[in-house]
Amino acid sequence: MAIKAGITVLFAMICIGLVGPGVASSDNDTRVTRITHFEDSTSDRIPTVTAVPQYPEKARRDRIEGEATVCYFVDSKGRIKNAAIRRSSHKMFAKPSMKAIKQSSYEPLRPNQKMSNVKTCRTYRFLLNPVAIEELE
Amino acid sequence: MDAAEKPELWRPEVRKMSRPAAFALALIFAVSLVSTSRSEESKVVIGPRNPDLTEGAQELLAGNAEDGVALTLRGLAVAQGKREKEAALSNLCAGYIMIEDLDSALTYCDMLLTENDRHWRGRNNRALIYVMREEFEKAEIDLQVGQEINPNARTLKVVKGMLLDATQPVESNIIIDDRRKRKNEE
Repeated sequence: MAIKAGITVLFAMICIGLVGPGVASSDNDTRVTRITHFEDSTSDRIPTVTAVPQYPEKARRDRIEGEATVCYFVDSKGRIKNAAIRRSSHKMFAKPSMKAIKQSSYEPLRPNQKMSNVKTCRTYRFLLNPVAIEELE
Repeated sequence: MDAAEKPELWRPEVRKMSRPAAFALALIFAVSLVSTSRSEESKVVIGPRNPDLTEGAQELLAGNAEDGVALTLRGLAVAQGKREKEAALSNLCAGYIMIEDLDSALTYCDMLLTENDRHWRGRNNRALIYVMREEFEKAEIDLQVGQEINPNARTLKVVKGMLLDATQPVESNIIIDDRRKRKNEE
């Protein structure tokens, strides 16, 4: 029964493009963070390490949500190069986004593949979901 | 810049929103009171006019809450003028929070706010006590008044955050979106 439910959930996740948790990069944050990763099906570069930015404590404290988009090149070895913030709804989200992208990487190119000179962009969205108080206890 | 606004004093403690955060906040108030005392000195006399009050604040800053409270009580006994009395009462409230004697802390905060109900630090400290005692509605009122008096006070935001964490907790949700064109994923 439980296995059947698990399979159903897994199928639902695949259908909506939910890949699963990345690599958490938070330093000392012991709080629960939900992570969702939407991938671009048109890209042939496969992420190997997807670091997750830490939710800025001040933003969390003041209940501020937002997003930041970082654009970068991926070199032949799968490393992130020339990362820059394209836009950020609040300056608080820029720094953790840059930190996360610098800790991320992709699979290296295969021998028969060539580098594209197109920049890749990744958007980090920082959201806060209400939690029922009973859940915490 | 007011000493109370120095972020390095409280930033590390804020993350867990726990008792250490409360202590850090209490320290912030002690710092502000030292500076108040010094500014008065520069206008009136050479050397500390109320050494017990000044040393008490320094002890509180150093984390020696019990010594700080004892000295501040002595300073309060000889306090001259409204500002000195308010400084002593505010530090006593903060000091008692540090030693987790919330009843005494509340007594001194109440005394302070009876003297001056526009004392935003007093409002902040009392809100902190109420949060620690889970008297959230009272905390909300003090925070509202405090933010009316000083809307940019960082310490009020910290306590407001503690109140929100207690009454309306949230969990962070990070979405990593690599798609070139976003779809209606939510």
